[in-house]
Amino acid sequence: MWRFIARRVVVLIATLLVVSVLAFLIPYVGTADPARTILQARVADKALDPATVDALRAELGLDQPLPVQYLDWLRHAVTGDFGFSFTSKAPVAQLIANAFSVSVTLALTALLLALVLALPLGIFAAMRAGREVDHGVTILTQVLVALPEYWVAPVSILVFALTLGWLPSAGWRGPAWVILPACVLALRPLAYFARVARASMVEVLNAPYMVAARARGLGTAGAISRHGLRNGMTPVMTLFSLWLASLIGGSVVVEVIFAVPGMGRLLYEAVVNRDIPLIQAGIVSIVFVVVVINTLTDLAYAMLNPAVTVSDGTA
Amino acid sequence: MARPSPAAANPPAGDRRPNRFAAGLTTVPRAVRHQHWAFKVGLVLFGVIVAVLILTPWIAPYDPDATDLANRLAHPSSAHWLGTDQLGRDELSRVMYGGRFSVTIAAITLVLSAVIGIVLGAVVARRRGILDEFVMRLVDLLIAFPEVVVALFLVAMFGTSYLVLIAALTVVGWTPFARMMRGQALEIYTKEYIEAAEAQGCSRSFVLFRHVLPNALGPIFAISWLRFGHKLIIVGSLSYLGLGVQPPASDWGSMLADAQPYMQRLPVLVLAPGLAIFLTALSVTLLGQGLGLAGRRPTREAAPDATAAPVTGTVTAPDVMEKATL
Repeated sequence: MWRFIARRVVVLIATLLVVSVLAFLIPYVGTADPARTILQARVADKALDPATVDALRAELGLDQPLPVQYLDWLRHAVTGDFGFSFTSKAPVAQLIANAFSVSVTLALTALLLALVLALPLGIFAAMRAGREVDHGVTILTQVLVALPEYWVAPVSILVFALTLGWLPSAGWRGPAWVILPACVLALRPLAYFARVARASMVEVLNAPYMVAARARGLGTAGAISRHGLRNGMTPVMTLFSLWLASLIGGSVVVEVIFAVPGMGRLLYEAVVNRDIPLIQAGIVSIVFVVVVINTLTDLAYAMLNPAVTVSDGTA
Repeated sequence: MARPSPAAANPPAGDRRPNRFAAGLTTVPRAVRHQHWAFKVGLVLFGVIVAVLILTPWIAPYDPDATDLANRLAHPSSAHWLGTDQLGRDELSRVMYGGRFSVTIAAITLVLSAVIGIVLGAVVARRRGILDEFVMRLVDLLIAFPEVVVALFLVAMFGTSYLVLIAALTVVGWTPFARMMRGQALEIYTKEYIEAAEAQGCSRSFVLFRHVLPNALGPIFAISWLRFGHKLIIVGSLSYLGLGVQPPASDWGSMLADAQPYMQRLPVLVLAPGLAIFLTALSVTLLGQGLGLAGRRPTREAAPDATAAPVTGTVTAPDVMEKATL
């Protein structure tokens, strides 16, 4: 077990180092002269004074060899210092921290909503496997997977905000502003959760310990809640954390449409504005979140192996 | 608990022999009749959509770029079935032309991802060792990684171009194919007929192309339809953000973005391209699901054993992700 953990941590650090090199190289690819790029981002004037460019190059250490520059950048990045945003002039670390908390709130709300709706659907479908209810749930999940969120989002704004006036259309000023984007984000994970819940419950329902539980006189509901859920939910929880990792940085479209100031929108606007420090920090922190959550998921999955739970637990 | 017999573990390979795919084409009508209903519905829907997209230059009622400012934001009528957009362009013609871009890019990246994934998966299944470890760690990392972030990263480095769009979708897209191919190949390499072929002195590449690939492709074919739907939606989302299709041209995603300011006045401008993406994605999802279910049906009892058995032993998080797609 310890070897497994150690290997995963090594992989984690190696991944972050590779990504940090790539992120560091962003201003150097495509343009020959980063100092010029930076100055052009600061002043809208196209004609740059060569003396100013040279001065900035010396000031920022851009005349140093590339590896030296990288180590310098990395030393600051490790302590959370990614410099200042070109566009808003605020410290990048602070912008990232704010956006991160917004994205976590949105992603967790969406995923909990998806989970609450998906579990009954999946379990119900598994109990009626191969019958009409099961087919209905399968069709529903296929429809949800095929729905593009950049279509559902405008339509939901049109219906619930502009026409009915029940909810605010865009922004991030309180709990009411979370509802619409969270509902839109929840649709695809809902389908995936329901499918996995159904698949693992079909397996669990046929397992010998469930028959044993029923034989001891537990009713269907009791057997499922006492024994079935405990064993069937591990895959769903794994999927939950994978989706969490992917939604925290990846819900760009929904955050842009609903004007939610989260990680995805921050990175998108940084790319559009060529705000290099913000792009670098955004990429590194999104990858950091994904890698850490994936590693923790793998460790948890290894520890919560359902076979182990069955043998020393209920049956 | 049924023991996973060789035939049960890999159903389509045993009796239907997908390596005779060319020969199978002559019996398509009979083959279709025996498929799952989801496959039939998806096939018809997808066939109609592809036919319309191919025939678009001949059947589209108007030039998609012809503006008519006197007649902008017109409601649906007999002249313009889906109305006109903010520049007076015929919405129906634009939806038809827009689909050609989305579907083509999705198809290109799908083929690229599949080829890269299948080759890598087959190679690491044979070689194992450090290369296998490296590739599988990479797969674990990328399998749930948001494509949009990869696209943003590449755009930040190289600017927007179709090459960047295709690269962004392929960087993440090869992973499910590699995982699946590796799993299939690991299982096939333990079979007696591989041993027999190697004992006869067949070369590695002969064994790979004659035995491993043909027997592994059935389930991969099913999953590739599901990936196609996924790619289509991602292409649209990148176009929506302005990172996909580039201005003079347009596709369903960029049409949705353009129509949003006018959606209260003319909802059809948002409804039509969105519905087009949804129906296309749904058709391929049904197709893939139908294929997957048909392949799985006879062995439902043996399925848990078959997935747990492979040589590797441990079940990791991406296994769950894979399970969720089928």
